[in-house]
Amino acid sequence: MANGKLFGTNYSPPDLVAKMTGKAKYAEDFRAEGMLMAKLLMSPMPHARVRNIDTRAAEAMEGVHAILTADDLPETDNLVGSDRALTMEPMYQGEPILAVAAVDEQTAANAIEAIRVDYEPLPFVINPLDSLRPGGPNARVGGNTVKDRKDVVEIKWTAQDFAEAGEEMPMGQPEEEFELGDIAKGFEEADLVLDETLYHQSQSHHPLESRSCMAYWQNDKLYIHVSTQSAQRTAPGVARQVGIDPTQVVLIAEYCGGGFGSKIGGTVNMAIAALLSKKAGRPVMHRVTRSEENAYGRARPGFQGRIKVGFKADGRITAFDMYLIQDNGAYGRSGDFTSASRCVSLNYTPLNMRFRGISILTNTPTRAAQRAPGGVQITAMVEPVIDKAAKELNLDRIEIRKINAPDNDTVYGSNQHNVTSAYVRETLDKAAEMVNWEEFKQQSGRTNGSKVTGVGVALSSYVAGSRGFDGLMVIKPDGNLYVHQGIGNLGTHSTFDTARVACDLLDIPWENTVVVWGNTGKHLPHSSVQAGSQTTHAHTRANLAAATALKKNLQEIAAKELGGSPDSYDVSGGRVHRKGNRASGMTLAHAAERAIELGAKYDGHEVAEDINEWTKTAAAGLAGQGAMGAAKDNYGGEGDLWSFVVGVAKVEVDRETGAVAIQHYTAVCDTGSVMNPRGLKAQILGGSVQGFGLARSQKWVYDPKWGVPFTQRLYNAKPPSILDVPLEMEGAAIEIPDPQNPLGAKGIGEAPFGAGVAAVLCAIQDAIGEFDLKRSPMMTDLIINQLENQAQPYKVLETDV
Amino acid sequence: MNIFQWEQNPWGQDILVRISWDLLWLAIIGGAAFVIGHFIYRAKNPPQAAEPATGSAADAVPEKVVRHSLVARLFHWTMAITMFTLLITAFFPIVGIQFEWLKIHWIAGLVLAGIIVFHIIHATFWMSLRDIWISSKDWAEFKLEVAHVLGTGKAPPKPGKYPVDHRIYHNLVTLAGVGVIASGLLMMVRIDTPLFARNPYLLSESTWGWVYVLHGLSSVGLVGLIMSHVYFAILPEKRWMTISMIAGWVTKKDFLANHDPERWVVTEKASK
Amino acid sequence: MAVIRDTIPAFELFQPTSLEDALALKRRYGKASWAYAGGLDSLDWFKDRIKRPDAVIDLSGVAELRGIRDVDDGVEIGAMSTLTDVETHAGIQSDFGLLSDAASKVATPQIRNQGTLGGNVSQDTRCSYYRGGWPCYRAGGNICYADTPTSINREHALFEADRCVAVNPSDTAPALIALDAKFVIQGTGGEKVVDAEDYFITPSTDITRMTILEPGDILTSIRIPGTWKGAQFYFEKVRDRQAWDFALVSVSSAMKISGGKIEDIRIVMNAVGPRPLRLHDVERQLKGQSATEDVGAAAGELATLGNRPLQHNAYKIPLMRNLVKRAIRGLEV
Ligand SMILES: Cc1cc2nc3c(=O)[nH]c(=O)nc-3n(C[C@H](O)[C@H](O)[C@H](O)COP(=O)(O)OP(=O)(O)OC[C@H]3O[C@@H](n4cnc5c(N)ncnc54)[C@H](O)[C@@H]3O)c2cc1C
Ligand code: SF4
Repeated sequence: MANGKLFGTNYSPPDLVAKMTGKAKYAEDFRAEGMLMAKLLMSPMPHARVRNIDTRAAEAMEGVHAILTADDLPETDNLVGSDRALTMEPMYQGEPILAVAAVDEQTAANAIEAIRVDYEPLPFVINPLDSLRPGGPNARVGGNTVKDRKDVVEIKWTAQDFAEAGEEMPMGQPEEEFELGDIAKGFEEADLVLDETLYHQSQSHHPLESRSCMAYWQNDKLYIHVSTQSAQRTAPGVARQVGIDPTQVVLIAEYCGGGFGSKIGGTVNMAIAALLSKKAGRPVMHRVTRSEENAYGRARPGFQGRIKVGFKADGRITAFDMYLIQDNGAYGRSGDFTSASRCVSLNYTPLNMRFRGISILTNTPTRAAQRAPGGVQITAMVEPVIDKAAKELNLDRIEIRKINAPDNDTVYGSNQHNVTSAYVRETLDKAAEMVNWEEFKQQSGRTNGSKVTGVGVALSSYVAGSRGFDGLMVIKPDGNLYVHQGIGNLGTHSTFDTARVACDLLDIPWENTVVVWGNTGKHLPHSSVQAGSQTTHAHTRANLAAATALKKNLQEIAAKELGGSPDSYDVSGGRVHRKGNRASGMTLAHAAERAIELGAKYDGHEVAEDINEWTKTAAAGLAGQGAMGAAKDNYGGEGDLWSFVVGVAKVEVDRETGAVAIQHYTAVCDTGSVMNPRGLKAQILGGSVQGFGLARSQKWVYDPKWGVPFTQRLYNAKPPSILDVPLEMEGAAIEIPDPQNPLGAKGIGEAPFGAGVAAVLCAIQDAIGEFDLKRSPMMTDLIINQLENQAQPYKVLETDV
Repeated sequence: MNIFQWEQNPWGQDILVRISWDLLWLAIIGGAAFVIGHFIYRAKNPPQAAEPATGSAADAVPEKVVRHSLVARLFHWTMAITMFTLLITAFFPIVGIQFEWLKIHWIAGLVLAGIIVFHIIHATFWMSLRDIWISSKDWAEFKLEVAHVLGTGKAPPKPGKYPVDHRIYHNLVTLAGVGVIASGLLMMVRIDTPLFARNPYLLSESTWGWVYVLHGLSSVGLVGLIMSHVYFAILPEKRWMTISMIAGWVTKKDFLANHDPERWVVTEKASK
Repeated sequence: MAVIRDTIPAFELFQPTSLEDALALKRRYGKASWAYAGGLDSLDWFKDRIKRPDAVIDLSGVAELRGIRDVDDGVEIGAMSTLTDVETHAGIQSDFGLLSDAASKVATPQIRNQGTLGGNVSQDTRCSYYRGGWPCYRAGGNICYADTPTSINREHALFEADRCVAVNPSDTAPALIALDAKFVIQGTGGEKVVDAEDYFITPSTDITRMTILEPGDILTSIRIPGTWKGAQFYFEKVRDRQAWDFALVSVSSAMKISGGKIEDIRIVMNAVGPRPLRLHDVERQLKGQSATEDVGAAAGELATLGNRPLQHNAYKIPLMRNLVKRAIRGLEV
């Protein structure tokens, strides 16, 4: 299949022009008659109890229509673990307390200024280690960690744990642990043991579009325009938050200006516009500003880590002992730290391994998956350590990664799963070949005036697919193929890419294909969430299954009308025809008409039993419109899906000013067959650039005394600008198909990010010539201090400084 | 008019920052009103030369009576200079005359604190504390004095070394001075000086608020007090006293006109 | 009062078309007025509802404030000229390249298209605490939140701090001082022309202002005399990312060399103190010396004398030292 006409070729997705010209409507661009504007009152304190709210003055103001507080939210289960749209016990500065709907934002803001909230400040904590200290503050009243996803409990380490650690990270009682092999034996066998205390920051997602939302009600149905990564899968989320049945929700989300994991199934604030609208009896728009986005949006959890690695003289890792303290934010429980253990187990296949971890609540924004959750952090932390080992053992930096690399037979992680494919050595080889590594690495340490060059390599991995979702498509009497896509339009193009699989199978030109997406009123099938790099894999398969079912229906329709067995028919050139004789058959338009006449499974009045209820409802909505294909991905498979990226960076560090210029970057990936080469490049280079930000300029800063952040505006959060991106950037794939996807494709959304951070960090370390990188980002001040042998202003384990 | 300046701290809580500078104007207006009021009254009721004291004690008074020792005069004038420096550096910028005031201000504050410590020691051991103290008996005399000024009573008895109004004044200045110096010294922790490591979080927000209020109230009080002090010092009938603060002594005539030699016994040692 | 940000409160907008009208409005509203140039600093304050002027006076319609004119041997730049105008003006590029260089390093092209030279030199500090609306000294309170035992003060001052440890963020201001520019101010007291250096003040003079501008004043133009025309210029700004970022430290210098020796030099650092810091001692020391690496290094040492670092900004000391050195020796070693 990988050699279909469309699969593997570049094209312009149908949403491109709208996006480029500004015609595309995002949630914030919609208007409705009588629409009110919402504004939020946000907690000024990192942790407090709201004792009283006096809204009288605000209510008396002209133009104020409704005020929503936490009391107006529907009861949902699991209140302890996760956050809701509004709260009476804010757990981080900026958590919303109430919302006002008024005729315009100015009035709403004036109303908020007129509201008096009486807060009782409660103890708060920003650095997880402070909370683990005996007598340290807890982020929540009941404790500092969430157990079993529901109970808040307290864990404190002993004074002795802290005393014994000295300057290194203390390692008290963990919450989670596993051991593979015999870690002690592994260290005994090692020729070199490195024991490092490391830090990786927390970071906001910074999607370009904030989580704005507009809602109105008609005949007891909620029409809601949201910014979400997924589409079909977001509707139940809205329903749950608003306290209604999913069938009452019409969700419109045709475009999404990025989410990076922060808007997977929608966002908690979606309830605000919906419920305010209900209360006021008018449409409500809630525009979220940049600083609000960074307050009650989501963030990647930071890690404080102690990592001890044993190497044989040839670089093989005999033992990998890792302990991570995860900065969890105040709500829920992030899985990043356990994902990190899986990445380590897979990337380095250590002969013996132990993982210990604890996730501590802090009074900082709610955490969520962020592009390669756990993977980015651990890659940025460990890859420089691998380089340190390479340096000490006098090994080539690509070789040390190759000797530890996984392959198709690798089993990994605490449950010892296998993977569908892992062509990491091939990826490393291709990267080496592309940059001409032997020559490339000679540039390390080369000086040019005050500038010195450094090169770095990094390996990163992340999950790349899932199975078992549904495809739904119809050929209508107009002869066109309508592919209904339940996945969101996050900007990765997979909404369109994966539809092209059907075109290839049915030999329908792209021009005759209509992708239907982004509106649950338009009958969307049950889909994977647009996250975890799942959609490429999951929905090439789902659409292949549905197209196959459709093809079968077409063949049967032709056989019914023209005689012979269905197998003697083929679908191509816009016709169902006898194999080898295109003239003998019918047009697809005609077949569609026949399908409607035949009814039953042909036009969707009957669908396969095993498809999801959502898909059944959608199919029922489409039934009778043409020839339908509706099917579940039953291709099966064994093992987890992972893709891999190798990043190679060259930087120039000015030894006098600490300025860093990334001069070259190459990313090579193992992502199976390439579906959309241009889209792939955008993914891997875009992800890398996001990585440059975490390596160089982007960080969270909190004032520790007040628990208030200072990096909520883009200009002080400092994501990379285009001038921080090298002019020379290459992206490529090794293009070895994944053996378990009939189409050979795996996802690639996430893995590039970690490689981008780590390769640049490694290159900076190489340029400075000191392989002792303890924390990132390596911002100008840290580099200067290091070059000048000046003390750093903070210790390794300090957070958010 | 506000009495206090409030701000919202980073958590949105109301915090006391300092007195409102409206109070400065209030003190100036109050001081001026007193001066003008007194001046008008004085014009209507011109001061008459008092009957000189007589008797054996009066006869024993020498021609020149030492009223202020050299040390006391030095103290007074140093204090005057530092006080004016402090007030100018404090209040000129507030009323809009900008210059680099802070360093001069805290250095002058330290000088003032130093000489006051000296003054306390000196006064305790070398001067008669009783001269300046106020007792309940003084209260009756003070009432008489006020009544006399208002024209309803007979002249009060002549005072000893310091008339009761002087003593009240001194004690008010002491109070304001102690307030301003104690708070001022603490406030130095908030700024960057070579003396302490700067730590604005040393005290709680509300404690700091009161420290600033104390500093403000005392200094604004001093403005009023000093205005009246200067006013009296330049009145013709009080000039002998002003001169004595420069020269150190008073003539026998002035002495007998204004003091009761029974109550201020000029010992041999004090006269020259 | 609950705090809300990101929504501009109502104000009265005036759009005068003559300087006279603008000045009259400034006089009428005094402290409650706000001169509005490109809005890149102004709007930040408005939308966060921290500064709430009653009357906003938009200067964009005042023709007298626009345009770049040749005068005598130099140029006169209207205060409302955009940074892009300044950056791309051929005369400035050829004669006073220091200024076009500095202007070109401000923020982003979009901001330079909108931001004005007058606004750029008059902009307020970027201290995060102050910008967050905290009631610090600069905001009229009695505490500096940026200089406590736990403050985050990586971007703050090494020199001339007095209670407030904030720095001047402008890139063009130090360049204008190095070029010995004169600032023309119209106000209640008529016209005033001051040296660029004297336009900026430290908190010890007035902790709530960055410049000498009084509430009734308008900066009308900036005159660059011919004195430094075609001198050897050096501008360098170190920042965390290459666009959309304020200087961590910047250096601007103008140097005249004759017979291999430095005949005259002006050198100014920014982002190290509350106003652009002219290095008078360094200038004196350099006169008559040759512009070499060693001389530059010695100048760098001298430049940093008397610094007072805070917890997080000691990196600025070597950075400043090295930038002075680079300004003297030039980039090539
Ligand atoms: C994200 C961001 C990044 C930036 N980065 C940089 C940078 O790297 N380097 C840099 O130098 N600057 C930077 N700036 C500042 C910007 O370039 C503007 O120059 C500056 O904010 C003010 O210019 P403006 O014309 O927008 O003036 P405004 O914002 O309108 O005014 C600024 C101030 O000056 C006063 N003012 C303006 N004009 C006059 C006048 N003629 N007379 C009297 N008062 C006047 C206003 O009242 C106001 O107080 C940045 C700004 C932003 C928002
Ligand atoms: S440095 Fe200045 S502006 Fe910043 S908090 Fe301190 S006083 Fe305010």
